[in-house]
Amino acid sequence: MNTEELWQAMLAQIQFNISKANFATWFKNTEVLAKKDGQVIISVPNNFSKEWLENKYNKLIFKILHSLDEEIKEVKYSVDRPGLKASAAPVAVLESYDNDVPQLEFQELKIHKESNLNPRYTFESFIVGPFNELAQAAAWAVAKNPGATYNPLFIYGGVGLGKTHLLQAIGNEVSRKIPQKKIKYTSSEKFTSGIVNSIKNHDVEKFKSLYQDIDVLMIDDVQFLSGKEKTQEEFFHVFNGLYEKNKQIILSSDRPPKAISALEERLRSRFEGGMIADISLPDLETRLAILKAKAQEKRVSFADDILEYIAANIQINIRELEGALNRLTAYQKLNNKSPDLEIAKTLLKNVIFSPKRLANPEKIIRAVAVFYDLKERDLIAVSRKKEIVRPRQIAMYFLRKELKSSFPFIGKKFGGKDHTTAIHAYNKIAKEIETNENLTEEISLIKEQIYR
Amino acid sequence: MKIIILKENLNNGLNIVYRVAGRNLTLPILNNILIVAEQNFLNLSSTDLELGIKYWALGKVEKEGSLTVPAKILSSFVGLLPEKKIALEVKNQTLYLDCENNQTQIKGLDAQDYPIIPKIEDENFIELNMLPFCEGLAQVVDFTAPNQVRPELSGVYLNFQKDRVQITATDSFRLAEKTLYFEKKISRECSFILPQKTARELVNIFSEKDGQLKLYLSLNQVLFECPMLETPHPQIQIISRLIEGDYPDYQSIIPKKYEVQIALPKNEFLNQIKTASIFSGKNNEVKIKVNPKKEEIEILSQNPELGENKSVLTGKISEASNKTKEIATIFNYRFLIDGLANIKSSTVLFEVNGEEGPAVLRPEGDAHYLYVVMPIKTT
Repeated sequence: MNTEELWQAMLAQIQFNISKANFATWFKNTEVLAKKDGQVIISVPNNFSKEWLENKYNKLIFKILHSLDEEIKEVKYSVDRPGLKASAAPVAVLESYDNDVPQLEFQELKIHKESNLNPRYTFESFIVGPFNELAQAAAWAVAKNPGATYNPLFIYGGVGLGKTHLLQAIGNEVSRKIPQKKIKYTSSEKFTSGIVNSIKNHDVEKFKSLYQDIDVLMIDDVQFLSGKEKTQEEFFHVFNGLYEKNKQIILSSDRPPKAISALEERLRSRFEGGMIADISLPDLETRLAILKAKAQEKRVSFADDILEYIAANIQINIRELEGALNRLTAYQKLNNKSPDLEIAKTLLKNVIFSPKRLANPEKIIRAVAVFYDLKERDLIAVSRKKEIVRPRQIAMYFLRKELKSSFPFIGKKFGGKDHTTAIHAYNKIAKEIETNENLTEEISLIKEQIYR
Repeated sequence: MKIIILKENLNNGLNIVYRVAGRNLTLPILNNILIVAEQNFLNLSSTDLELGIKYWALGKVEKEGSLTVPAKILSSFVGLLPEKKIALEVKNQTLYLDCENNQTQIKGLDAQDYPIIPKIEDENFIELNMLPFCEGLAQVVDFTAPNQVRPELSGVYLNFQKDRVQITATDSFRLAEKTLYFEKKISRECSFILPQKTARELVNIFSEKDGQLKLYLSLNQVLFECPMLETPHPQIQIISRLIEGDYPDYQSIIPKKYEVQIALPKNEFLNQIKTASIFSGKNNEVKIKVNPKKEEIEILSQNPELGENKSVLTGKISEASNKTKEIATIFNYRFLIDGLANIKSSTVLFEVNGEEGPAVLRPEGDAHYLYVVMPIKTT
């Protein structure tokens, strides 16, 4: 007879000895917690039940249990502790918060306190296409069997393509299946500021101990660790500690480990030691599928030609797809009618035709010249001075990259240079960007200037 | 059992313990109050199995004993008696009351069948000033989440630190936090979630009293105790279960900055929101436009069937990130009224964070209370 059957048999007998009201009140939600060496521990829902069973029914309960199982010599009672049953709750939370009143809520409350997970991100809501198949499959395998399949799992891909979604989905899936697992999601920026604070307060050890007994650790945007040596060092120790214990580590970044500049070699090699999966750009069909799923989630519907128009024109960022959809939804709510394709085109004009197209060669040359404190004509003039050659190459790079100008045109712009010079400049800078942190920063600063 | 007691003392006690009797429907004996005569005290208790209240009053005990009697009958009867001595006697599970010209018998049930109210073994306690504590509790107690989906939000969170206690409640649409500072530091830091019902009873029972309140804590229960004026023996004990679970990290909800802060006369603000509420739609929405340039707010509401209302209230801008930009936010008027009702000062500071960011109400010159409310989404 197992403990459950034992308790059922006990309940079946005791109901003849006490009144129905008493039975319903005092034996509700009771169960056998443990049975060992002749001692039975009964779990009760509250202290009132505990006092009552101990003082009033103990003899009776003991007598019945003893008659069922002669080994039982002692009965004890204990009040249910939190955590035993609490884990069932989070799944139900999502639906109940759905309501039609657009009253906004504190989003912070939905995020799980310890793991930092947002229940919104799940595998069910993740749309799979050829561009993210590999990453999704790897993530799914990890969620099934954390710590065993791919460790560490490194996911990289561009902005707004679902890296965070995938990371959090793993966390949510694991916590749903194995609620005891300790899961932590954090951004590398939070990790860094945690280290900085702990250094300030002289308790680095305490900070590290927070990460010691985690079963699944997820760090988002690890590229921001680049150049932060102390953080990298501490992270290295945390990483090793967890890895040795076969705990799952999942990382995300906007570029592969090789391309993260100023990253310690030993960290890089560890990142590459597990599974690296990339998320590339979604194809048209997937974008369309995402739009349809999002529309359904928001409980709106649009004509297919509109969705196709959005999918065809917004190509590289899923977040932008959502933004476009929000715009149309707002219009629909405001005017109480669905926009037709023409209206949709005007509505989405500034989402789709971003100011990118407003750049021209003159603007680029001016921006580069201003940035490097040169005169515009210096860039164009024939000169092989180092401090001019490099800015010139950068300007050529921009002309190619941003305006898709032809190489002969670029060469002509810079004082009648040969088109091979332009090709060389473009390739050189493009290659260097991948490895040189400073250059990447300079490029993005200049870009801001160009489009200002 | 035989005891002689002043009617006033008995009546006071009944008024307090009567509150929780009869709330639990599964066990009929819980409709009763337990009366015990012991040493020099008459002890009254009642419970609904989540919350227990005990009350002691001095009385002349001639014979010790106990009985339970229906709470409703006893309390309504005693309330009507003259202010004289009452003799209580138990014979054959019947309570005999003798007061001046009144002789009464009330049928009771055996005290042995009454639930045992648990005790807390721990001797350590935290001492609180009753009045400010209950006032603080009253300012947040209404804002707990009503449903049981998130049990941890259905109670009031008390976070005791060395020099202060933070009392917080939120239903995920709004949040109120009250901070009370102690005169002397307390020895232990602790935090727990108190069921809303218990918090309400604490406010009801202790709000008009002055004195010290002792708080005892165990793993899943809490005990509030106040002593008698005459002797150190406890007069009232309230023992309650605690809500299990971790309270969310609510500090991240409280906005650290704001786009604009405007000081407004509280009563006029409240009145104008009430006026606007008459014309609000089914979502209770009123629109509040803060105009930093003119230093005023505009309160708008409209209902396609009823009509519309617009009113203007001048205030004083203390700070704005952008002096010229007008910010319009839509709120549920109930939430604003609830928040304003708990602000005691005559001037309220109203902080806005755009169309969809949380807004904050604070009493002017009092950093110990704040009320955060989320707007209604503009569509």
